[in-house]
Amino acid sequence: MHIPDGFLPLLQAAIYYIITIVALYFALNWAKQNLDEKRVPLMAVLAAFIFAIQAMNIPIPWGTSGHMVGAALVAIIFGSPWAAVLVLTVVLTVQGFFFGDGGITALGANILDMGVIAGFTGYGVFTLLKKLNLWVAIFIAAWASLFVAAIAVAIEMALAGTFPIDLGLFFMGLYHAVIGVAEGVITVIAILAIQKARPDLLPWTNKDTAEVEK
Amino acid sequence: MNRRDKSFVIGGLIVALIIAVLAPFLASADPDGLESAAEKILLVEETEPLFEAPLPDYLVPAWGESPLGGVVSIVLGTIIVFLAMVGLATTARWFKPGNNSDT
Repeated sequence: MHIPDGFLPLLQAAIYYIITIVALYFALNWAKQNLDEKRVPLMAVLAAFIFAIQAMNIPIPWGTSGHMVGAALVAIIFGSPWAAVLVLTVVLTVQGFFFGDGGITALGANILDMGVIAGFTGYGVFTLLKKLNLWVAIFIAAWASLFVAAIAVAIEMALAGTFPIDLGLFFMGLYHAVIGVAEGVITVIAILAIQKARPDLLPWTNKDTAEVEK
Repeated sequence: MNRRDKSFVIGGLIVALIIAVLAPFLASADPDGLESAAEKILLVEETEPLFEAPLPDYLVPAWGESPLGGVVSIVLGTIIVFLAMVGLATTARWFKPGNNSDT
């Protein structure tokens, strides 16, 4: 759901840049306080994994495809949506400047949608549901992160006059409700793999970080 | 970083690079959700990107549509993202009051 150049009037693009820069300021503050030495390389590996898996488009019906975003994955592993903002900022900036994936003028909006909105939705839903069942919570959080981000894009496109609101919400919602299933499955698999290899890196099995995250 | 952390990072990077190498062969070429929606309901004219990326669409321009260009692009991107993330996170930590004392 990378917005290209030309889909946002420059004034609106600038507003999304400003919101994103403010979010990035808080994300960097979070990193300053909470990232310890051993979690810097963990974050970098996750960013590399997310970049690679975002290139793996999965076919869905209607001649369409979609890929994972990864914001919920990062937010859940680090126990903070700010971690997702940081990781997606790096991934989306590299995608925009090196590969033309997402317009440079739309980079602020893309980070807002796939980093801030997806990260906070994923983290919020996970926090609400984790008491019920950890893995169900992870799946639904990842699904919701993608779906809500897509709805945000549809609203931005409607405000920009680029998509009609009703059809924009319908198609963006429909496609991403399906792509969200892939987001959920991959997120569960990735966290299961980390749980198996290094349970100490996950917030619910690591008492030290659980306290820091408060 | 202790040995377990190191092997986790190396293992994770290997998984990322395997996905990067396979992606050009396995990924669907169909338009993504936003592009698909745009094909049906776009109200504005499509424009050229404002900025010509060096490896547009994860391809090496000189090699055309060759999937090898995809492999090179995505592997390179994976490494750039890894290094940029280390750089950004390390820089953020520099500003921590009284750093260097934590383990």
